[in-house]
Amino acid sequence: MKAPWSAASIRVRLTGWYAIVLSLMLVVYATATFVAVRQEFQEQLDDQLHDDFESAEGSLTPTPDGRVAWSVGRHHDPDNDEERAGDVWSPNGDQIGRSGASAALPPVALASAGAQPRYESMIASGRRWRTLTGTTLVTGRSVVLRVARSEERLREQLAEVLKVLVLGLPLVIVLAGLGGYSLARRALAPIDHLAVEARRVTAERLHERVSVPNQRDEIGRLAAVINDAFARLEGSFDKLRHFTADASHELRTPLAVIRGIGEAGLVETRTPAEYKEAIGSMLEEVDRLTTLVDTLLRLSHGDAGSVHLSREPLDLGQLTRDVASSLAVLLEERRQRISIEGPEGVSVSADRLVLREAITNVIDNAVKYSPVGASIAVSIREEGGRAVVEVADQGPGIAAEHRERIFDRFFRVDTARSRDAGGSGLGLAIAKWAVEINGGSIRVDAGAAGGSVFRISLPRGNA
Amino acid sequence: MRHVRVLIVEDERKLAQVLASALKGEHYDVVVASTGEDGFFHANAEAFDLVVLDVMLPGRSGFEILQTLRQRHIDTPVLILTARDGVDDRVHGLDLGADDYLVKPFALPELLARIRALLRRGRPSEAFRLKVADLEMDLVARRAVRGGRLLELTTREFELLEYLLRHQGHLVSREMLAREVWKEPRRATPLDNVIDVQMTRLRKKVDADTADRLIHTVRGVGFVLREGEP
Repeated sequence: MKAPWSAASIRVRLTGWYAIVLSLMLVVYATATFVAVRQEFQEQLDDQLHDDFESAEGSLTPTPDGRVAWSVGRHHDPDNDEERAGDVWSPNGDQIGRSGASAALPPVALASAGAQPRYESMIASGRRWRTLTGTTLVTGRSVVLRVARSEERLREQLAEVLKVLVLGLPLVIVLAGLGGYSLARRALAPIDHLAVEARRVTAERLHERVSVPNQRDEIGRLAAVINDAFARLEGSFDKLRHFTADASHELRTPLAVIRGIGEAGLVETRTPAEYKEAIGSMLEEVDRLTTLVDTLLRLSHGDAGSVHLSREPLDLGQLTRDVASSLAVLLEERRQRISIEGPEGVSVSADRLVLREAITNVIDNAVKYSPVGASIAVSIREEGGRAVVEVADQGPGIAAEHRERIFDRFFRVDTARSRDAGGSGLGLAIAKWAVEINGGSIRVDAGAAGGSVFRISLPRGNA
Repeated sequence: MRHVRVLIVEDERKLAQVLASALKGEHYDVVVASTGEDGFFHANAEAFDLVVLDVMLPGRSGFEILQTLRQRHIDTPVLILTARDGVDDRVHGLDLGADDYLVKPFALPELLARIRALLRRGRPSEAFRLKVADLEMDLVARRAVRGGRLLELTTREFELLEYLLRHQGHLVSREMLAREVWKEPRRATPLDNVIDVQMTRLRKKVDADTADRLIHTVRGVGFVLREGEP
């Protein structure tokens, strides 16, 4: 049952809801109107009866023989006689006078006639009547007086009103539905337009944007959001394009070297030592390719979210010291010094191996780019619920425009830098990946005294 | 002396050839099967000391062969070769009764070392003294002496030399060193640099003041400790 309804377009659904709500409101309104009109008619009728009663009272006169007479002259009206009636009884039940259609009505129960006049509705001779019955005194003698009016005319009028209301309601609803439909269409037209424009933007034309007619209204905000999404998509595509170009370069270079060495080796006969040299050189390239492919596969596993992490609370200081000592020989070779400062027991929640790799790559980067004899300052601290490790090097620093891209795969500030000196170009990309997969973030800033400061911020663990 | 018999089940012809020639170079008797059925037939019918089994085979997968062999209580050590390094794959292989696994592409020295280790399994481990030429290591006293001269080695250098000595005459790749000596599960560029620097330092201490160098670098492969030329 739900499917066809949810399959209908927003326009149809909107109109449907509109019609339903409007119908409910109209039904309530019509009912209230009808009740009020009926009330009003009823009160008018009662007022008329009250007038009839008073004028009938006025027509009662005492006779010289001590009885009461009723002159009904004024009430004699052929047009109204079918609609009205009047009766007067003496307390012992003798009919003193009658007028109009009183024959159609049953006699009143004298015992029930109180001092206060009383309204009643009744059905007599197949018609509905409204009566007013009361006891009145005529020069000390009490008589029972009853006036009546037929309710038929009132009911006819009410039926007219009801007919107008009931017949008019569907008409109004249909008209409102049509109006609602066209309003909904007009309101939703910009969305259709937006959809057409958005469809135009494809992978090949990602630079295009949808037009934003009015930035303030809802459609404008939606268009802005869509444009924002396109911008990010374009950014990702650009990154991917860069990556594909860089990756194919990085992968093809070793292949070209291997091929070149192999072909050159076959052209003429060489000494065994030369062959060994050639084969060794080829194997070096194979090794490089293998590492590259491994790293790329790992990153793509990470992208696909198929990496299993075993998070545990780790002492960040201890982990960092551990990394530093594993890289100690590299520092010694370059006569560099590393200082690690910060309180004990700064705990993070992370996967040990993955996080260790991130810190290793960042410190290795600092070692690689700092000059011989430089010192590298590592500081660890807690900051607003996060654990932070900062690595400050004395390298050449990174220009502001490159700071965002430094973590991109294969990005190198100095494109001329050779593969031998620059490593795989994936170290910092791996570091970023490893930090982010552990719920942290990494960024690089210019150091106060030159160089760069890499800052890794991680969620704290409960030590 | 009876030769060690090794069965290679590998459908990739070139790789099978390379493996066969490398194993023959180590003086093993080698039988090559290029399909799953063929491999199962050999393993089931003949006695081998070791099976090198590719997982992705046409016809019958390596896992199936392994499972059937173990069900028939054929307990020949099996080393699995796989191109997939997913943890599940490894665990699956080991659960089915594989004794070791290697992920393609692997280095030959590594494969040979694994095979030696599997064949050695169950025998008492060797003495606490290792020796090659005039280099001697006492693992209990943690002393290394070259030509009567005591070598002053750091802990890491000692472990490195011990590993080289245990694999004397055989190639040792950086990957093996990373895992076995540095105990790092993954080889990374920074670690490669560390290994190279450490090796250079060790070589200075071991081969200093002598023309008979013991530690040799084999370009593109790794290192080897042996007398004479590599």
